[in-house]
Amino acid sequence: MRRLRASILILPSAALIFLFIVLPYVNVLVMSFRAPADGQPYGEGFSLQGYVQFFSESYYALSLPQSLLLGALTTALCLILAYPVALHIATASKRWRGILYGIVLSPLLVGIVVRSYGWTILLGNSGVINSTLREMGLITRPLPLMYNNFGVVLALAHVFLPFMVLPLLSSLQAMDPAVQQAARSLGAGRLTIFRRITLPISMPGIQSGCILVFVLAISSYVTPALVGGMRVKTTTLLVVDALIDQFQWPFGSAMALTLAVSAGIVVLVFARLTRIKWS
Amino acid sequence: MTEVSLLSLTKSYGKAAALKGISLKIGHGEFVSLLGPSGCGKSTTLKCIAGFEDVTDGKILFDNRDISRKLPEDRDIGMVFQSYALFPHMSVAQNLAFGLEMRRVPKDQIAARVARAMEMVQLGAYADRYPKALSGGQQQRVALARALVIEPAIMLLDEPLANLDAKLRDEMRGFIRDLQKRVGITTIYVTHDQGEAMTMSDRVVVMFDGEIAQAAAPETVYDRPASERVARFVGNANILELPVAGQGGQIVLPGGHALQIAAPVPWAGGRLRVMARPEQIALTEPSAGHLGGRVARRYFSGGHVEYHVDTDCGPLIVLCPTSRSYAEGEAVGLQFDAERLWPMQRTGLPEEAAA
Repeated sequence: MRRLRASILILPSAALIFLFIVLPYVNVLVMSFRAPADGQPYGEGFSLQGYVQFFSESYYALSLPQSLLLGALTTALCLILAYPVALHIATASKRWRGILYGIVLSPLLVGIVVRSYGWTILLGNSGVINSTLREMGLITRPLPLMYNNFGVVLALAHVFLPFMVLPLLSSLQAMDPAVQQAARSLGAGRLTIFRRITLPISMPGIQSGCILVFVLAISSYVTPALVGGMRVKTTTLLVVDALIDQFQWPFGSAMALTLAVSAGIVVLVFARLTRIKWS
Repeated sequence: MTEVSLLSLTKSYGKAAALKGISLKIGHGEFVSLLGPSGCGKSTTLKCIAGFEDVTDGKILFDNRDISRKLPEDRDIGMVFQSYALFPHMSVAQNLAFGLEMRRVPKDQIAARVARAMEMVQLGAYADRYPKALSGGQQQRVALARALVIEPAIMLLDEPLANLDAKLRDEMRGFIRDLQKRVGITTIYVTHDQGEAMTMSDRVVVMFDGEIAQAAAPETVYDRPASERVARFVGNANILELPVAGQGGQIVLPGGHALQIAAPVPWAGGRLRVMARPEQIALTEPSAGHLGGRVARRYFSGGHVEYHVDTDCGPLIVLCPTSRSYAEGEAVGLQFDAERLWPMQRTGLPEEAAA
């Protein structure tokens, strides 16, 4: 009886998830197997045409490793940048912690389009960085900061940094400070403590932060579009192109699903490799 | 085995002094408790010895080696924390091996010493468990083994039983004391629980406000406290202020009964404050006691009964065996164990006789 009542409470959210996540996914799945057609979104009957086209033409197929690479690089950069920040916040005094928390979250206050556009102002060929360097006489031709992986990864890392810092922070804060003292009393120096105690104990945070950022980076559209132009060709760009510009719903759906499944596999493998046995 | 000496240890946080010149010598293999209320400086003292706090002034010697400026990792201490502080990502065996690895002990020796340490705390079967899968008492035993397996110069325990439930706490008291005796390691134990300090220690160091109030055997601290504050902190204490008769040593109770005190009283005349522990007073018929009174409250606690008795000397606490019971409101006589009445100075400062 009690169980039944509890499950009634889940109903609204379950209905929401079913209506707006499960059903659309099913729709996309079905759509990806529909036959293509001219002058309309899709034709009669079913076919594998969408998947065949994606994997057989390198123009499309290569977007998948490009997307995965972008996700991996962004995740790595975020992890490297976020770890010292999280470590610092975790050990800061209460008042500073609040201030630093605010600073970390501040990128989220600005819309993603504005933020990405901001990066184009900084990184463009006649952008702030290049024109400053040129005026200082350090360079004669602009550095390639935009329209490549470098610029897109940088902008993505900026956007997603909070999603790495927060899980790291919560796992570091959950750590008993006496654990580090215990390690010291047993003869461990600071570097050893970081390598053998702090880092492994924060593994749950590293894991969830990495998964979060990877999934977000891989599915990002605005930043690759603005900062990468069409020169960093991610699958997401091609999906939007197929669905909206070319009006090929089956092909777009097939690409979207392939990307989602690939990302899912990467996440599963990652979670498997970094499995935490101790909690 | 190591001898520990604290020489006028001072610790200040800005203007606030946490330790005001602590001097203490702890002998080879001695078990010493630092006892006091929170904020008395007992934990600060321990942290200074461990090296987690810098000493503002003074010295800490291990066998005449000054270690006050050394890093904690170079001090050769085994420490047990209130939260156990086990490494959650390591199995029991890995937790124990960590300190040995830091000391670059060869691998085969590590395995043997870890196995021996686990037997010592009766956790041989739990080598591959992670701390999360252990009970509080088991975790505490792992923490003890981890501190001892490195065979440190001294062992420091920071309120190690505070997180355990009452029954387990009593068991662990005996367990820790036995283990310490078997290993023979010099041990400093911080607690705010006077019962713990009394039952486990060779010597109890009572601390108030960053200073040592008394350092003595548990029996001495209990029977002959250096001050009223010590008397009240270590168990219940009845303090009676009574006139002294003749050349001293004799006190006169309201009603005329005079009691000869065994303890030396270095002053004569005037009034004296004496301490009587609740179990050093017996209840009898009103006519038979040294002092008359009336039972105000009665608390039964199984093995004995605690009476709060109103008398002409103020309210007194009396602890009696359950053999004869008195009701609330009943008139009773109080009989003192004069031999054990302990004189205190009026001001309650530590004095010669108790030192």
